[in-house]
Amino acid sequence: MRFSLLQIFLMSALLLQSGTARAGEDSIGFVRNLSGTASVSRGGETIPAAEGMKLLVGDTLVTGPDGSLGAIFRDDSTISMGPDSSFAIRSFEFSPKERKFGLLVRVTRGSLAYLSGLIGKLSPESARFETPTATIGIRGTRFAVQVGEAALQ
Amino acid sequence: MRDRESIPPALRATGILAGILLSAAVLAGCASSPPKAAPRTQDTIVLLPDASGKTGSIVVSGGGQEVRLSETNQAVIVREGSSPGKPFVMEGTDLSSFAAPALKALPPPPKQFILYFEHNTAVLTQKSRALLATVMKIIKERQPVDISVVGHTDTVGDRRYNDRLSHRRAKAVADLLVAQGVDRSILDITSHGKENPLIPTGDQVHEPRNRRVEVTVR
Repeated sequence: MRFSLLQIFLMSALLLQSGTARAGEDSIGFVRNLSGTASVSRGGETIPAAEGMKLLVGDTLVTGPDGSLGAIFRDDSTISMGPDSSFAIRSFEFSPKERKFGLLVRVTRGSLAYLSGLIGKLSPESARFETPTATIGIRGTRFAVQVGEAALQ
Repeated sequence: MRDRESIPPALRATGILAGILLSAAVLAGCASSPPKAAPRTQDTIVLLPDASGKTGSIVVSGGGQEVRLSETNQAVIVREGSSPGKPFVMEGTDLSSFAAPALKALPPPPKQFILYFEHNTAVLTQKSRALLATVMKIIKERQPVDISVVGHTDTVGDRRYNDRLSHRRAKAVADLLVAQGVDRSILDITSHGKENPLIPTGDQVHEPRNRRVEVTVR
């Protein structure tokens, strides 16, 4: 009797835990094209990267001397890194319905490539990359200008 | 059959492709360098054309100055603690070797397809049924993949009815994909009812282009 009660308690505790983990940790993308060694630092833990691994805001991705990997994000943008590289996803928000967008990536080592997705299309000014020396912003290619208006006095 | 059918112009993102290379120790060599001085570093940023050949535009800032890159293969070097250098166009082996392993690892951008439905049903139009073969082809080519399936309706009828109809549409497409061998666990099935029309209309408007399911293969 005591045994089965304990079991029920443990089971419900486990269920609760996985439930909250899922609610609080929304995946923002996943790993693709992994080769060689790479890892993800998440909340003080280092997890070996794996093909298809889900990524969360706050993750830092690190490759070894033989490593490279790509990632696809929920807004369809893609980011990849070469060997001996590291970047952190500081923020990511993609809620077209509420018109909320944001992408902040900090590159600390190595090389990185980025192909913009819908954030770059819908709200380019919300995407930013930081390197140790510079900040990179995306600009739309559209602009409007009016010339030749009669000047006011 | 091609992109015209599958990607709505509104969602065709102008691809901005940029590579960044960070390097250290390039500018060391200060004669009276204090002991343990960290080498100065510099970062190189190159703006590249996307797969369709188009080039976007980026702004690089540092040291309180900013520089705009908008030409194909235009690059800028930023040294630690300085403002960005003069932009130049990168060419030859400098370009072909630039961040090459990173660029090689860049996954192809997700591919989106739109499947249309007969009025007030979860039955695909004949044309869209034919498009399903292309969807399956892309899924097979890109393995492993994640797939999102999002159902929509036009604005005829009340909200709750359309929520259900859009869900039935998404589920119908998911079932067709599963029947062709797609693992259900890689499908993310959602529905937006009449809230997210492809073609904005007023309420209670028949619009065949809004009766749809969007399938994105990542």
